[in-house]
Amino acid sequence: MIEQIITLGLTGLIFLGAAATALWKNPFDKLIGLSLLSAGVIPLIVMRGYLDVAIVVAILIPISTIFILLLLGRKTS
Amino acid sequence: MTPEFFIGLGLILLGTVSVAWASPKDYLTRLINLEIPAFGLLLVMLSFDEMLALLTFIAVATVSTFIFVRVIGKREEIN
Repeated sequence: MIEQIITLGLTGLIFLGAAATALWKNPFDKLIGLSLLSAGVIPLIVMRGYLDVAIVVAILIPISTIFILLLLGRKTS
Repeated sequence: MTPEFFIGLGLILLGTVSVAWASPKDYLTRLINLEIPAFGLLLVMLSFDEMLALLTFIAVATVSTFIFVRVIGKREEIN
């Protein structure tokens, strides 16, 4: 019962993040929507029991965000 | 079929449309939108219980993001 409710809420969070990333035009807003999307994906991985995959995902997603921020800082300067 | 499979398919469709018709048509928007179908493919792999594929896909996606950032940076320097 509680797992269906959690899955439904995470589905809403994931599609909210995807729509926000797809529709907003400022790149910084897009990065915030992307982190919302990843916040919905990581509990689904944990609910399946793959804690090591969750560790790798939680480490590597901010690294790719830092790479994109590098490009953004070069563009504005 | 698990709910992760259908969420992943929806993310792949939405992300592909948003990459193909990006609203400001530059490289940076497409690069950020490209992360959405990557998450969708991750969820599809999760629904089939492929742990090694998940780890490899996440690592390769990060490395390819780094390479795309270098390529776009060099192209903007040329222009």
